Amino acid sequence: MSLATGTGAALAVPAQRVRPADPDALWRWAALSPALLLMLGLGLLPVLNLVALGFFDVHWAEGQSELRFVGTAHYAALAKDPLFGSAILNTVVFAIGAVAGQMGLGFALALLCSKATRGRTFWRAVFILPVLLPGIVIGAMWKLMMNPDFGAIAQLLDLFGLPPVDWLGNARLALFSVVLVDIWHWTPFCFLLFLAGLEALPRDVYEAAKVDGASTWQELRYVTLPLMWPTIAVTFVFRLVLAFKVFDEVYLLTGGGPGTATEVVSFTIYLRFFTQDRAGYGAAMSVAVIFLIFLMLAAAAATRRRVQPA
Amino acid sequence: MDRTTQGSTALGRRTLLGGAAALTGAAMLPRRAGAQARTAPITIVINQSPWLDSFRRSIELYERETGARVELDVNPFAGSLEKQRNSVRASRGTTDLLIMNSTWFAEMYFGGFVEPIHAMDPGFRLDPEVYTLGDSIYFDADAKTLTPRGKLMSLPIAPIVPLTYYRGDLYRENGIEGAPLTFQQLEANAKRLHRPPRMVGIVQRGARGPASVSYDFYSYLYGFGGSVFRNQAANDYTVTLNAPEGRAALEYYLRLARECGHPRTAALEQAEVIQNYVTGRAAHMITVVAAWSQVEDRERSAVADRTEFAPPPSLPGLPTAPPLGHWLAGVSRNVPDERKRAAVQFLNWFQTPAAQIAYARGGGLPIHAAAYRDAMADERRYRWMKPLGVALEKSVNIFQFPEAAEVVAVLELGLNRAVAGEITAVAALNEMATQIHAVMAARGYRTALLEPLR
Repeated sequence: MSLATGTGAALAVPAQRVRPADPDALWRWAALSPALLLMLGLGLLPVLNLVALGFFDVHWAEGQSELRFVGTAHYAALAKDPLFGSAILNTVVFAIGAVAGQMGLGFALALLCSKATRGRTFWRAVFILPVLLPGIVIGAMWKLMMNPDFGAIAQLLDLFGLPPVDWLGNARLALFSVVLVDIWHWTPFCFLLFLAGLEALPRDVYEAAKVDGASTWQELRYVTLPLMWPTIAVTFVFRLVLAFKVFDEVYLLTGGGPGTATEVVSFTIYLRFFTQDRAGYGAAMSVAVIFLIFLMLAAAAATRRRVQPA
Repeated sequence: MDRTTQGSTALGRRTLLGGAAALTGAAMLPRRAGAQARTAPITIVINQSPWLDSFRRSIELYERETGARVELDVNPFAGSLEKQRNSVRASRGTTDLLIMNSTWFAEMYFGGFVEPIHAMDPGFRLDPEVYTLGDSIYFDADAKTLTPRGKLMSLPIAPIVPLTYYRGDLYRENGIEGAPLTFQQLEANAKRLHRPPRMVGIVQRGARGPASVSYDFYSYLYGFGGSVFRNQAANDYTVTLNAPEGRAALEYYLRLARECGHPRTAALEQAEVIQNYVTGRAAHMITVVAAWSQVEDRERSAVADRTEFAPPPSLPGLPTAPPLGHWLAGVSRNVPDERKRAAVQFLNWFQTPAAQIAYARGGGLPIHAAAYRDAMADERRYRWMKPLGVALEKSVNIFQFPEAAEVVAVLELGLNRAVAGEITAVAALNEMATQIHAVMAARGYRTALLEPLR
């Protein structure tokens, strides 16, 4: 490998003097292999099992399971599934809305916190609080707050003489409300990553910008954002994947309704797999979603490669 | 040989000492310890329902009376099903007695997961006054139907059906006489008492869930003379949901919601329906009888002792048709024999009139007709018992096949969309009928579709 460094010195090294192989390599692989096999087993086997199950129908009789091969019938049925189409659309809308909100807010809060000279630890603790709460608590809390009959938000609106709003029961508002709750829940995650990134930025670049007379906006536009780009990209991918998997908030707040207004893919898989006990079809649906997530990650990686050099 | 002898001698001494200690201990223990030693402990997997506390009290009474040991494994509704599936599908089950809901007991019967009671105890005699609830306690594995010709598979634990809860005090104040026994009476009375935003005429359960809006709607559908399938007992799964009766029922249901119902009907779950009623914000609700204890709880309800009960309404000339949302107890097939016998022993005790009256006194819903004839049914506190007795006689077992959850999911979505105003009643019924037909056809049932409604 040293030959490929491109340095003249390295190129001058005669080929016959290069060690053909690292004598410790075998031992290192042998030592690593149990862990690698375990990791591969734990990571790959369930996915392979899921892929295989997607080609079968599972029935139970006399206490025993019966597997019937159905080929690609489950995948063909996905296209006609009234819930799956709505779920994909809603999940995309949800993921884009929630991640955009979380990243914008998280970045703004991180900028403010990084510039705070006093009480930085306190603000940091306050801002990360929502991400520490379990999903079930968040669901219960927001469901109560958004209740138009006796919720805190309705009471607050009442103080200003405004009528209560049916946040979760109105088909036009329900998805927006769930996005709001998700933004509240996960903004601290973005905030933490952005704050860590901001605090690691080199100070001398800012000092140089100041010497050059850069305004605050110019400093943000031409110094902070370019330097923060890798952190932003990683945060975006993390959050996008997590947002695509949203389940608990939808399950607790709306149950996918009203109608299909808040149906998301994880919830649809749960219904098909567990509530309706359609293991084969649920597996096919899961594989389709895994494929979509891979596509999304590939697109994100390609975008990152294209944008990063600029 | 010596070692054996020495060992035997040593063991003999220990046995002697241990036996003496055990005898002394046994003499000091209450008599129930003897029974405890004879009966294996059992685990009951059960859901967190309004009637759970009363069932727990019955268990405690059973333990006191017999010395047996029972452990309750309490779960949420969906979690209870998952736990049961995991247990019965394992090589050896972790739960002995399965408390199965009306939406999944067929899955357990058809899957071969429940042991017929007479296979464990040939001498078991079902009390003839125990409600058989649409014969859902029997299963004929050959004919794949629920019929007394089949085997006894389970015993009812909670005969849940909906009742009409109505504000007797408001009826009196407004000069309304009699219970709302017909749909016409219910609508007229609900409209008369509808004073939004302070009070709605009726609060309905329109949200989409595992079995939410569909369960609320069945009373209307069957009360109008409609049905989901033509005749399940005869294996005729022709989808009749979109017959004119179904249309009349759904249009009535939507009209109630729109004209005298809660403004958020499409988002209301059972808990919110009850909450609205007990806080005095609704004049009527048709909900499970198990909610009576919440309604009558003076510390938590603003309408305690102001509520009257009636069987769900129907069209004149048709009987009330409350859907069964009941719970059955069946013994898991994959548990040891001694635990199976212990589970049957509990069921045998539970069906006795004495246990049933105690169960009712503890807030439970008795499964034995004797409890409904008992003097307690005349007490004001238990005034729900007589309407319940009437309702149980006419109760309808909506689904009798294992894929019911798929059909329920179709109904939940279609009905919720109709209640939310996304689609019309006719579109919803036609759409649901087509999807249900597809589900049944894919599973090989004898099914057909009616002409779509226009």
